[in-house]
Parts: sequence; C-alpha cells; structure tokens
Amino acid sequence: MKNNNSQKNQKLRNDIILAVVIVFIAAAGLLLFVLTKQEGSTVAVKIDGVVTDTYPLSENREVSIKTGENDENINILTIKDGKASISEADCPDKICVETRAVSFVGETIVCLPHKIVIEITNEKTDDQIDVAV
Amino acid sequence: MKRFLSLLLGVVIITIQMIGFSGCDNETQPEKFKAYYFDYFDTATTIIGYAESKEEFDKICEDIKTQLNKYHRLFTIYNRYEGLNNLVTINDVDDGKHNVVTVDKEIIDMLTFAKEMYHKTNGTVNVAMGSVLKIWHVYRNAGLDDPFNAELPPMDKLKDASKHTNINDLIIDAENNTVFLADPEMSLDVGAIAKGYAVEKVADYLESKGITNFLLNVGGNVRTIGMADTEKWKVGIENPDTNNEEQPYIEYLKVAGESVVTSGSYQRFYVVNGENYHHIIDPETLMPGTKYRSVSVLTDDSGIGDAMSTALFLMDYEDGKQLVESTDNVEAMWVLPDGKQQYSSGFEAYTFEYVQK
Repeated sequence: MKNNNSQKNQKLRNDIILAVVIVFIAAAGLLLFVLTKQEGSTVAVKIDGVVTDTYPLSENREVSIKTGENDENINILTIKDGKASISEADCPDKICVETRAVSFVGETIVCLPHKIVIEITNEKTDDQIDVAV
Repeated sequence: MKRFLSLLLGVVIITIQMIGFSGCDNETQPEKFKAYYFDYFDTATTIIGYAESKEEFDKICEDIKTQLNKYHRLFTIYNRYEGLNNLVTINDVDDGKHNVVTVDKEIIDMLTFAKEMYHKTNGTVNVAMGSVLKIWHVYRNAGLDDPFNAELPPMDKLKDASKHTNINDLIIDAENNTVFLADPEMSLDVGAIAKGYAVEKVADYLESKGITNFLLNVGGNVRTIGMADTEKWKVGIENPDTNNEEQPYIEYLKVAGESVVTSGSYQRFYVVNGENYHHIIDPETLMPGTKYRSVSVLTDDSGIGDAMSTALFLMDYEDGKQLVESTDNVEAMWVLPDGKQQYSSGFEAYTFEYVQK
C-alpha cells in the first residue's frame, strides 16, 4: 500500500515536470512569435508601381529618392522613431511633404508628380488599415 | 489531479498548434495584391485586390485601367484628345458662344446625374460653377508656385463670374446625345462629381463581371467591391488636424461593398497671409466653406458619396443631417471646427475600436 502510494507520487511528479516543460516551451514559442510578429515592418519605396528599395522601419535614416529621366526630381524619405515621412521634395504640389508620418502596416504616402508611393509593409501581419480617407 | 494535468496538456498542445499554424495556412487562399497608377483624374489611384495569382490580379487591373482611362478622357476639363468630344469641347467658345456638342452617352448620363444632385442638394453641388472655380484654380496654383506673393481672388471678380452659373443653362438633349451651354460665359467644372461617378461605374462593371474582393481608391474616393478576402475592409478616417501625430485617424470603419469619401479643409489648400484657403467653394459666399474641418460620407454609391461629401461640407448641420437621414443608404460624420464629431443615426454601426499594436 505504502509502496503503491510513493509510486503514485513519483508518477505525479513526472507528470508535473512534463507539464511544466511543455508550458515553458509553449510560452517561449509564443514569445518568439509575438516578437517576430511585431518587428519587421518595412518601408517600401515604389516608383511608378515598382519596388525600388526597402528599409526597416526600426532604423533611423534619411534617403534621397531620385526620379525622372536624369534623376532631376528629389524626395527625401526620413525614417525616424518608427515612422516614415517625406521631409523634403521639389515636386510642385508638396502634398507628400504635407502628409503626416506613417507607421501602420498598409499606410502610404503618395507623391503624384514624381509617381512615388511610400508604403509600410509587413509580411507577417495583415494590414492594420487598408485605406485612409 | 491527473485529469487536470492531461486537460492542461491538451490545452497547451492545441495552443501551440494554433500559434504554429496560424502564420502559414494561406497556401490555398487568395493572395493580397496592390497596384498604383498616376494617370487618371489628376490624382493617385490605388487598387487592392485578392487573387489566386499575380497574373490574375494584373489582368483585372488592366481591365480597370482601360475603364478609368475611358472616363478620365471623357470627364476631364483640362485635356483635349484628338477625335474625342469631352467636357473641354463642351466648354469651348467659338465666335462668342458655345457649340451644341455631340457627346458619348456616358457624358449625358454623368451630367444628368449632376443635375439630379444639384436639386437633391438645393444647389450646393453645382457643376455649372466653372466660371467661379476657374478663378480660384488660377489663384491657388499661382499661390502654390510663389507662396510669398499668394493672393486671394478679388471678390468683385468672383461675383461677376457667379452671374454665369445657372444650372438651367446646361442643356442636355438625351435623345440626340448633345450638350449645349446656353450662357456663353458659363463653363462646367465636374470636380465634385465626376471622379466618384466614374469610380462607381467601374465598380459596377467589375461587379457585373463577377469580380469581388477588390478595393478602388481614386484620390480618396474609395469604393469596395465585396470583402477583403474573408474579413471586411478597414478604413481609417484621417484626423483633419494633420499635426496630431498621436492620433492619425479619428475613426476606423469596417465596410464590405460600400463607398467612403471625405471632404476636408486640410486636403488641398494654399496659404495667403498665414491663412489656409482650401478648394471646396461655397456657391453662396464664393469662398471656401468654413463650417467643418471635414465631412465623411459612407454610402453604397461612390458618385452619391462624392457629391454628398461636398454638399454636406457646405451645408448647415441641421439641413445636412436632415438630407442624410431622408436619403437611403447614406451615413455621415461631421468634424466641427472645435474637433467635435457628429454622426448620422446609422454611422456608428460601421465603426470599430482600433487596438494599438
């Protein structure tokens, strides 16, 4: 009877250890998943519909985007603190410069005269918004 | 105890599987694609759609481009095309008067719709206001080119022009497909109508071909066709306070098949003596409307949405609200000058709480 009891206890302990290990693995997996999901948003530069460059949204930088036959048109893309904006441009309407900084997956900045679209993309998540009006 | 443990184990394993598979189960599902065009209605066009392959998506986009190009050439008031009678031809003046112009049926239909919207909005949306809007257009462009010398159009000039804006002088002969402007000094400006009308026509065309799970956005005239695959489309309504970085959107909508259009004072403006002057001109004051920061309209018809957003932006709140409530399938949100938001009775059924990631 006593022997039986300690065997039972032993079994229970093994079960608990197994459960703890599995929970731990699950938690670690979940953590990894959440982390990789939130990271990795990308700023895609599209000129006339074609992706010409991509930059991580998490790294601050300033890029000069040149368009036109002789690279005569310039838009300055600024990525700062997880947001992307056009800080300067020599287009006539300056609507791209007026547009607020974007960070949500699916958000865009458009420069119509230079045919540029800046888009926040992320392969791992759905678009946070499809369209802004 | 044992039962509890095995239950726990089961839950854990199911959780792991859900996490593990949620990211990579879309092999058989349609993929999301986007395309951007810059050639239509002097604005940017975005097409978003779900398709089995890039080839299939591109094929539908070519179809959409052909349609948009057709309406762009017909409805433009700036460009001439050889062998095509469009709105430029209607606005032309020969020997001190306009001609009776034979046009495509699409122009007859659009202008007939424009007249309907004139009456529906008590004259607030008037395509016969070209003479007034032309003056604003010239001064705005000059002000954008040379901000230090930006000027407002002189009021007497605007008032003179406003004498030539009678919608009844737009004479449409639907039987013979002709249009004639009876007042030699009048001209048409379809900026508040044609884009939304064209988007609706293209959406109808796609629907008639059985295409679904697409979204058209022509310069802020959004029309959804079906769902975003298995979910609804997520639409952010822009904060008219464009300096507010904390809150880029003041409302989030979920739609499937509807159209959303916003008219806002922040959208297209120029600056004179430190003041912003935007592009939505009130036919009564001949000046930019000042009653709201923006008005967003949710409707099942993008043509009505385009016209209604302009009309509501210029109408008193009580009149506008009454117009919305008495029109089927139209909902609206007004943003007042102090930032306060007002809604029509059915608008909030489409909103959802956005949870910051």
